[in-house]
Amino acid sequence: MRPTLKKPERTPDGGAERTVTFEDRAGKSLLRTEGVYKQFNGVTVLRDVALDVRYGEVHALMGENGAGKSTIIKIITGVYEKDAGRIMIDGEPVEINDSHDARRAGISVIYQELSLVPALTVAENIFLGQEPGRYGVTGRSEMRERVSALIDRYGFRIDPDAVVDSLGMSQRQMVEILKALSTDAKLVIMDEPTSSLSTAESERLFETIDLLRQKGVGILYVSHRLEEVYRLSDRLTVMRGGEVVGVLDHDEIVPKTVTTMMIGREIRDANARRGYKIYEDNVLEVSHLRYGKLLRDVSFKAYGGEILGIGGLVGSGRTELVKCIYGALRRSGGDVTYRGAPVSKSIGRNIRAGFGFVPEDRRVEGLFPALSIGRNITVASHDKLSRVSVMNKGAEQRWAEEAIKNYDIRPRDRGYRAANLSGGNQQKVVLGRWLAREPDVLLLDEPTVGVDVGVRAELYEYVRFLASRGSIIIMVSSDLFELTHIADRILVMHGGVFFEEFTGAAATQAAVLLAASGQHTDEGVALI
Amino acid sequence: MKLRISTRNVRKLVSAGLVVVLMLVFSLSADSFWNWRNMGNLFHDAAFLGLIALGLSFVMTGGGIDLSVGGIVCVTAILVSRFGTLGGSSVPGVLAALFAVLCGGAFGLINGVLVTRVRLTEFVTTLATGILYSGLGLLLAYRDNGKLSGVIVPKGIQNESFLSLGEKVGGTGVFLVTYIWIALSAAMYFVMRRTNFGLHTYAIGSHSRSAGMSGVNVRRIKTLGFVISGAFAGLASAMLTANMTAASASLGNNGYEFQGIAACVVGGIALGGGKGDPVNAMIGAIFLQTILNGLLKFNIQAYWSYVIQGVIIIAATAFDTLFGRVTHMLRERRSIAGREAV
Repeated sequence: MRPTLKKPERTPDGGAERTVTFEDRAGKSLLRTEGVYKQFNGVTVLRDVALDVRYGEVHALMGENGAGKSTIIKIITGVYEKDAGRIMIDGEPVEINDSHDARRAGISVIYQELSLVPALTVAENIFLGQEPGRYGVTGRSEMRERVSALIDRYGFRIDPDAVVDSLGMSQRQMVEILKALSTDAKLVIMDEPTSSLSTAESERLFETIDLLRQKGVGILYVSHRLEEVYRLSDRLTVMRGGEVVGVLDHDEIVPKTVTTMMIGREIRDANARRGYKIYEDNVLEVSHLRYGKLLRDVSFKAYGGEILGIGGLVGSGRTELVKCIYGALRRSGGDVTYRGAPVSKSIGRNIRAGFGFVPEDRRVEGLFPALSIGRNITVASHDKLSRVSVMNKGAEQRWAEEAIKNYDIRPRDRGYRAANLSGGNQQKVVLGRWLAREPDVLLLDEPTVGVDVGVRAELYEYVRFLASRGSIIIMVSSDLFELTHIADRILVMHGGVFFEEFTGAAATQAAVLLAASGQHTDEGVALI
Repeated sequence: MKLRISTRNVRKLVSAGLVVVLMLVFSLSADSFWNWRNMGNLFHDAAFLGLIALGLSFVMTGGGIDLSVGGIVCVTAILVSRFGTLGGSSVPGVLAALFAVLCGGAFGLINGVLVTRVRLTEFVTTLATGILYSGLGLLLAYRDNGKLSGVIVPKGIQNESFLSLGEKVGGTGVFLVTYIWIALSAAMYFVMRRTNFGLHTYAIGSHSRSAGMSGVNVRRIKTLGFVISGAFAGLASAMLTANMTAASASLGNNGYEFQGIAACVVGGIALGGGKGDPVNAMIGAIFLQTILNGLLKFNIQAYWSYVIQGVIIIAATAFDTLFGRVTHMLRERRSIAGREAV
């Protein structure tokens, strides 16, 4: 049996549904966490986290990757179990152990990956799994009535009979929110809701959020985008390294303050590369590159010997940029030339011409989990290891063993299944696949996500070594430390174009962070 | 709502229109096509195929596939012929038909359990059970006929009540199975479009993970789909057996599963799920049967019908892809226009 949900009661006159109102509670405490601790494998990821969300407020949650935002949300929604601390709803302590508990407590999450069924209408989606009606016959008129009442109540502009497939992303999120509200949610958690929205669509989502706030619903809003947070939130909690660094009121939300809180004191790395040799003849030129709506007009030159960092938020077009260069996506306009000749649209040809690409999600696009370490390494080098399409077994084994030794892949067993490796070693395998070829152009997309500190340092060393031999390195990264300390030059993307370029001392984490949210350092305050 | 109704029905109108055109062409060019006798036969065959497609439409709309219906037709034919000849052949026909439905449903249930509980893939499961069911049919037929080897001789049935299932009704040229098929198609249309079960079938066919997260019992809906598919195959089998007045174990070799799937696809039920309803299956079955029947009226090699069926299936699929793209584009344009208007 499907889980039984609380079905909205009907008023005595048989009319529209009762909808719980929260307006009268505006300003009162809705969700409160106290002293929440969480450890994973002995590493403390949350330390004494206190959150306080009130009715009728948009409460933003900001922090760098790994600051603990997702973890605390997963604890609130019952995905993770907390090690210590209390969660209180309306001042009463509650135990939330799974998603049903969360729903019963009135907490609802709008995930980035929406949970709608495209073939059904808005109304059908909202009531999916809890349809009104008798004897299994869907009560369409009642469904319509209740959805219309819900839509009217929140003043949304959406047609209950529209098929979800025909809706844009912002409208789908609206449906998702309505679905949450239909089960009487009082706290709506949104995790990076605008990452897949256009500017206009984001604006419509903000209007929706404003409506919810007016009706007294509490919203916990996770975002990387400062201007959004400023536009929307009544208060802001900033996290860093698993702790709450501070809570700001709307008027205190100033870019400089927030970025300083997020990053902490900046430490200049003494090991940063200074003075590197540029190989002028090894040049990749991208001019007026376009890709749908994601890349609007991107031009740059990258030279051998240089590590070029590409910064920007998720959805800013970074991944699409490297994929277009590599040939994994078909560009809709513009030119890419390497050493003066156009770059092919065929990945195979590009690899033979000296390109290499480490994708963002190694488990989906990089690794062959079912194959051995050896096969994973040699898979891109069949051209060098075979004659008339017949693999030279001996050469293949030597190639794999050398890479395993050079890049210190553990265990040192080329027959070991890649699926059983740790995240760091998997990444070494994927990187090793390309490094072993000594590519002239190496494209890296988030090369150190899910890789621990020790392995990170090794990866940086390999990449630097390759650069010092004259290769072009283009590295996309969300990690500010990585960008400012490993890259020699940083291009920050925002809205499908290069927003700002940084070199040398100007490349501070704060400046890059500001540029990623579309603000120049010197006018940061003025803009918002 | 307007857009939905129109795209949904445009697809049906296109197929139905093509059927009318085909019928016109055949009646004008072949003398023996347009008469009561032939139409009665055409709609008899269409009804048999249509019953199979009707059951399949539930599995396919739910995003699945059932390759075992041919096997179910085969083994149920043998079982129902035994059942119908029990106790001196006095078993009422209705009871025999009900028995066949239950048998088919039980075989479908086995499929459903294997797919949803043992978690095997639908393709392999139903491929395997289809072979298995045919094998059971052959074994049973062999036991009935004893000494046979190789050729399975149909076992004759002498049960008037049962055999009347395969006959025409009253003085008209229309077979009973045709009426049953039309009535059940209408009933199933209601089930698909108006009940929670139908809604959930579309949901799992369109995006089963979202459906599951919304509280739809995906495994139960899927299992029920297989049960329905099997039940209709069983019914079709009983009607065919009665019409042939004998059960033949070689029915399993006739490829009914593929003809059924072809009828669904031609009628407009997407293989990926989430689209179409029993009316699409109905139109598809008439479409295919019209072509098979019509081509026989010309003096061309009968094997051409296979070639033409293949071409039609490809054409229908290509049309759906193109149609889907065009409607999607129109929607996008409309939604952009709407946004600008706001």
